[in-house]
Amino acid sequence: MKTSTRFLTSCCAAAVMGVHATSLSAADLEFYFPVGVNAPAVDTIQALTDTWAALNPQHTVEAVYAGNYEETTTKALTAANAGQPPQVAVLLSIDLFTLIEEDVVVPISDIAHTPEDQEWIDGFYDGFMKDAEFEGKTYAIPFQRSTPVYYYNKDAFRAAGLDPEAPPTTWDEMIEMGKALTVKDSNGNVSQWGTRIPTLGLGGAWLFGGLVVSKGDVLTTQTGVEARIDTPATIASLEFLLELSEQGVMAPGGISWGDTPKAFLEGQTASMWTSTGNLSFVEENATFDWGVGFLPGGDGPGAPIGGGNFYIFSDTTDEEREAALDFIKFMTSPENAAIWSIATGYVAPRADAWETPEMKAYSERLPQALVALDQLQYAEREFATFQRAKVTQHLVDAIESVVTGNAEPAEALRAAQEGADAVLGEYK
Amino acid sequence: MKKGMNKILWSTLGLLLAAVWGLPFLYSVWTAFHDEIYSANFVLNAPLTLENFFEAWRAAPFALYFLNTLILITIVLIANLVLCTLVAYAFVRYRFRWSGILFALIMVQLLVSPEILIVENYLTLSRIGMIDTILGISLPYLTSAFGIFLLRQTFMTVPVSLDEAAQIEGAGAWRVLWNIYVPLAKPIYLAYALVSISFHWNNFLWPLIVTNSPEVRPVTVGLSVFATVESGVEWSLVNAATLMTTAPLIIAFIIFQRQFVANFMRAGIK
Repeated sequence: MKTSTRFLTSCCAAAVMGVHATSLSAADLEFYFPVGVNAPAVDTIQALTDTWAALNPQHTVEAVYAGNYEETTTKALTAANAGQPPQVAVLLSIDLFTLIEEDVVVPISDIAHTPEDQEWIDGFYDGFMKDAEFEGKTYAIPFQRSTPVYYYNKDAFRAAGLDPEAPPTTWDEMIEMGKALTVKDSNGNVSQWGTRIPTLGLGGAWLFGGLVVSKGDVLTTQTGVEARIDTPATIASLEFLLELSEQGVMAPGGISWGDTPKAFLEGQTASMWTSTGNLSFVEENATFDWGVGFLPGGDGPGAPIGGGNFYIFSDTTDEEREAALDFIKFMTSPENAAIWSIATGYVAPRADAWETPEMKAYSERLPQALVALDQLQYAEREFATFQRAKVTQHLVDAIESVVTGNAEPAEALRAAQEGADAVLGEYK
Repeated sequence: MKKGMNKILWSTLGLLLAAVWGLPFLYSVWTAFHDEIYSANFVLNAPLTLENFFEAWRAAPFALYFLNTLILITIVLIANLVLCTLVAYAFVRYRFRWSGILFALIMVQLLVSPEILIVENYLTLSRIGMIDTILGISLPYLTSAFGIFLLRQTFMTVPVSLDEAAQIEGAGAWRVLWNIYVPLAKPIYLAYALVSISFHWNNFLWPLIVTNSPEVRPVTVGLSVFATVESGVEWSLVNAATLMTTAPLIIAFIIFQRQFVANFMRAGIK
């Protein structure tokens, strides 16, 4: 029932807009998409795709679920290598350099070249466009973008005598308040930690990017050939992670990404750093009063941005490209971006989406969603270079070896820098 | 006395190993039948629910996926049994030029991991227009180096005198294969079928990549919808879906358990 109402809304909304009655010649589109959040995502994408097809009877479109991000990229690259790429796909923003190196995508700014098109591209938040551009061209359009925020248990704040409306904003406050929030049982075992920042795997590296941004630096730039792993900002960030556990605010050892929301919901931690993609999951399952704040920062606010963008593949006809562009415009139109954002928790990528009545109602019901939007101006691109998988692994290894107590920050980061430079050397 | 102690030690070890093996399974049963809040919270009188199964069933067209998986493993299994038997029989019974090298070539395939071949196989399939078909998924697996090896080794243990006696009685090559070799290798066939079915039941990446439409996709693709790393993982839902998709295998094993064990025993005694 809920889905069909949504579906109807999107039909009406699109019809009112009336921009889709373009007289394009026929094209058959294949659209690969990944799923990274809980269930309704597939249904929502299917409903939106069907609506576009209904509005554009001269075209056909097949929405193909392609696994998680990594599997979707593998599938798209395999198909492209065989000369049968999807016309359009949602892939990780950080896969941009891989896709360019494999020469399988076209810059969207080459297809969208009218002044209206330019205006449309300019309508996306700058933060989301940072990692969609390469050498002055726009290669991707933001769709399912997320950013981490600081989730906290207001009841736990009250119990510790802290103001539930004033979450920590700096690293020092994180430690200070964290000490007050840490609860021990009669045997001296910790029953509730002050905070939980995932440090293992790619999720750990993603959040680490936020720490570095808050110290006024970035891990990578838009050239794709620079990895800034060994800098004063990264050393300070890694030392801060160590300090959290040394001060007894965060559990020692590595912390996994996947278990974190669970630990928060079960009260094992009073706060956590994780993606806005969890908003609806936490809303559904939390048995306590909870809030969301900016990620506390070193010298100021800072966060990484992640998620997926639309790409158009290069082995396609002009008609297919035009149709693909129209499809992307439809999917990111204010009404549809709102539907998608509300269904999944992804941050709607355009200011006009937040102006829609649905989105206004949503942010009134769940004001926590607005925090991520406000934080966006302080957010920077996620770690992305050519040979991303190899280069990121050096960073991941460095963070993991330090938090598990097997290496010193400065030394581990230096080794990671050397490893990354060796990979990137030939691209410079 | 010493024997008694030994027995106790072995039983304890056995129970311990069984617990290590069984705990993850018990955990998935627990979470599948309880609400998400009880997934790490073991309260004995927690209310049981089937809601997870309903929700998991709705998340993807599982009925269709089950049918596809069934068709897929049937094709693969039949093709495997027929082709591997014939190839193994030829290697054992006939002496022909290059047979040693040919067998070595087949063995080399065991060293090649199937993932490396995905791009090449995709290319081949797309050239012959078999992308997005169940036959296309099964094509690279229709014969198996492992199956050929296994059956060849088994056929070699069949006494030559049996074969010769049958020939004297006037049996042709087909008759000998069907009446002598195949019945004697029955336990091996069962064991191989078990391994093959569970492998193809679980295969994920290849079917995901060569298929686009729900009409041809297997259950593993449906299962992957629940691996939502970006938001929190709902263990109760994931485990309900996992139990649901593995249930046919588990039930089949329980039903055929006696035959399996008996056959393995017989194979072992020989």
